[in-house]
Amino acid sequence: MALLQISEPGQSTAPHQHRYSAGIDLGTTNSLVATVRSGNADTLADINGESLLPSIVHYGPEQILVGKLAQEMQLADPLNCIASVKRLMGRGIEDVKQLGDVMPYTFRADQKSKVPRIQTVAGDISAIEVSAEILKTLALQAEQSLGDQLAGVVITVPAYFDDAQRQATRDAAKLANLDVFRLLNEPTAAAVAYGLDQKHDGIIAVYDLGGGTFDISLLRMNKGVFEVLATGGDSSLGGDDMDHAIGEWILAQANFDSIDTQLTRQVLLAARAAKEKLTKQGTAQITIQNGAQHWQGKIDRAQFDALILPLVKKTLMPCRRVLRDANLSKQDISEVVMVGGSTRVALVNKMVSEFFQRDLMSELDPDRVVAIGAAIQADVLAGNKPDSEMLLLDVLPLSLGIETMGGLSEKIISRNTPIPVTRAQEFTTYKDGQTSMSIHVVQGERELISDCRSLARFELRGFPPMTAGAARIKVSYQVDADGLMSVRAEEIKSGVAADIVVKPSYGLTDSEIETMLRESMDYAREDISARMLKEQQVEAKRVVEAIDAALASDGDSLLSKAEIRKIKQARNKLQKEIQSASADKLKKSIRTLEKISETYVARRMNSSVKQALAGKQINQVKI
Amino acid sequence: MQILDLKQNYFELFGLDITFDIDLKLLSSAQQRLQAVYHPDRFVNASERDKRLSVQQASWINEAFETLSKPVKRARYMLELNGLELNDESETTSDTAFLMEQIAIREEIEECRSNADPLSCCNHIIERLRSKTDQFESEFVSHFEQGQLADARVSSRKMQFIQRIMDQLLDLQIELEES
Repeated sequence: MALLQISEPGQSTAPHQHRYSAGIDLGTTNSLVATVRSGNADTLADINGESLLPSIVHYGPEQILVGKLAQEMQLADPLNCIASVKRLMGRGIEDVKQLGDVMPYTFRADQKSKVPRIQTVAGDISAIEVSAEILKTLALQAEQSLGDQLAGVVITVPAYFDDAQRQATRDAAKLANLDVFRLLNEPTAAAVAYGLDQKHDGIIAVYDLGGGTFDISLLRMNKGVFEVLATGGDSSLGGDDMDHAIGEWILAQANFDSIDTQLTRQVLLAARAAKEKLTKQGTAQITIQNGAQHWQGKIDRAQFDALILPLVKKTLMPCRRVLRDANLSKQDISEVVMVGGSTRVALVNKMVSEFFQRDLMSELDPDRVVAIGAAIQADVLAGNKPDSEMLLLDVLPLSLGIETMGGLSEKIISRNTPIPVTRAQEFTTYKDGQTSMSIHVVQGERELISDCRSLARFELRGFPPMTAGAARIKVSYQVDADGLMSVRAEEIKSGVAADIVVKPSYGLTDSEIETMLRESMDYAREDISARMLKEQQVEAKRVVEAIDAALASDGDSLLSKAEIRKIKQARNKLQKEIQSASADKLKKSIRTLEKISETYVARRMNSSVKQALAGKQINQVKI
Repeated sequence: MQILDLKQNYFELFGLDITFDIDLKLLSSAQQRLQAVYHPDRFVNASERDKRLSVQQASWINEAFETLSKPVKRARYMLELNGLELNDESETTSDTAFLMEQIAIREEIEECRSNADPLSCCNHIIERLRSKTDQFESEFVSHFEQGQLADARVSSRKMQFIQRIMDQLLDLQIELEES
């Protein structure tokens, strides 16, 4: 048995010991993990040499498959194969309906937490749980190739993610048992990957068009300091929408009699394949088999460009907005960095290049650049580079406000304010004798509450009744470096206070997360106890067999009848317990049998020594 | 960890003179120097107490930076440092001519939408407002320097009015560029 090594108390972690960390790009279509090894940041591959893990999880009746294995189930079992789940993070059932037919799944809204859950054969699953499976797979992949546990990770999120979406990502990491150093905005991560050599100091624009999200950020880079000046985008716009545009075109051309989920899935896969082909060649062949019906067609670059033009145009509006927010003109931008798989599309490059009136930078693989940047920051945050001057200064992507009379949003912290930030505002009562106040926190740029995203509602209760307008309620908001918010409300005259960490209206409740965590830990505990039982059973069998063999050879000569009976009793008890008893009980019975047999064992040793020495001179014995 | 002196004012924090015409480059580099010490990324492996202190101090630095980097906020902060309590709700301007001008500009903006060339109409107003901003800023500076705080306050109020209209105009400009 291998011995566990235990170091002296207080010396278990040497101060300069390397702590393993990783950067994780949790993407809509693909996810990646990267790490810094001997100064170089690179993505880590799985055992098949693949570094891109498709963000797909298949829920079967027996097991959960992640990545390529899940992808292979997509055609055969589309409803239990969950893809593009990033689009559902932090979203409510109404938002999901707005996505239309993008998601083929059947959703059920939980009464209590409002988190939409997808029906699968393995039960109803939330987006957070699906993401947790992807994170677990990536972390395992990293730990296997590093040969050690991860001290912590940096997970990237679209800069344009709101509080609810960020919180959902954090929750997924918690479920996957990962220690998150920081949530990092994807464009900032890309800038870090590009900016390390400091060749690109100046103001850069990062245009990030992924599978399901679009981000545009302007950063000022100066000697290792990355300062985000403004960020904008659209958290539900990406390559998936291009697939849909082509898919709809295919369906219109093919004019099938009936359309079901499997056909939709097949058409979408064909659409994506055509899109990818068109990044390299002028035309793409498409073949669709729908039962007895067969359709074959061709799409050329011009047709494709016409289909996606409105989508690409939609990305330019946020580009204008960030320039304005940062008070900059196109001429101030020194570089434009292209990130995300969808930037491989020719029309995207053409239009972005025209918009910024310059050539684009895409030296680094647009699929990997975000994970690599995240790995670099994770390495710094893990404390492996105490001399690093790298510092990332980020901003709040969307304004935070509070609901006031008339359903209007009063902005408390406006978008593009550097974070972390704390701000307070005072409110007063509306009626005489009012002793409580309801506070509704929203995020978004619009005037009307109904156009903003509801983040949280809570009540401040029990302050003394006063005339209308006399109470002074101070509401303080704090946004931390991850872009996550907490709120505190206090009536200043009486000191009655309410603190809440904002749990987004569409997030999992604390108790739900706790239950899920407990369940996963219970499973782990069951696994451990199952293994321990197995070990004790093997040990018990070995002991029983050894005793039987010994008794057969010299039991009668070395032991009295009473002694034999006693040993046999203990041996029979253990034998009976092997199939039924717990690991603990088995261990006890083994020890009892060993204890009872102690004298027997001693006598056997003596007798074997005597036999060995019989007829030999003392000086012939080797000691 | 180091603890910031929260009693110093924002100008002192960044090592700047108390003046409206600050060097924004100096402000920016001072901000980065301070965040390099206090930002939560420097305390990822620290105790809960230090983490909390870091968030508080980095927030304070950011708040100071925001205040000084925006002209309207900077002007108002300078008045506050001189003991003027500014309250958005109760403040109105009694300058009738200025108010009439505001209404006229708002009407002009509305008319821009139905103009034959709405974008250049909009850009034209933006240019005019920029020179207005310059005018009110220099008014603020000269009042403030001569200790005429009440007048400086009126100027800062006008700067704020113009800023609000400007924000709306820039929104309209983006909207028009899109269509």
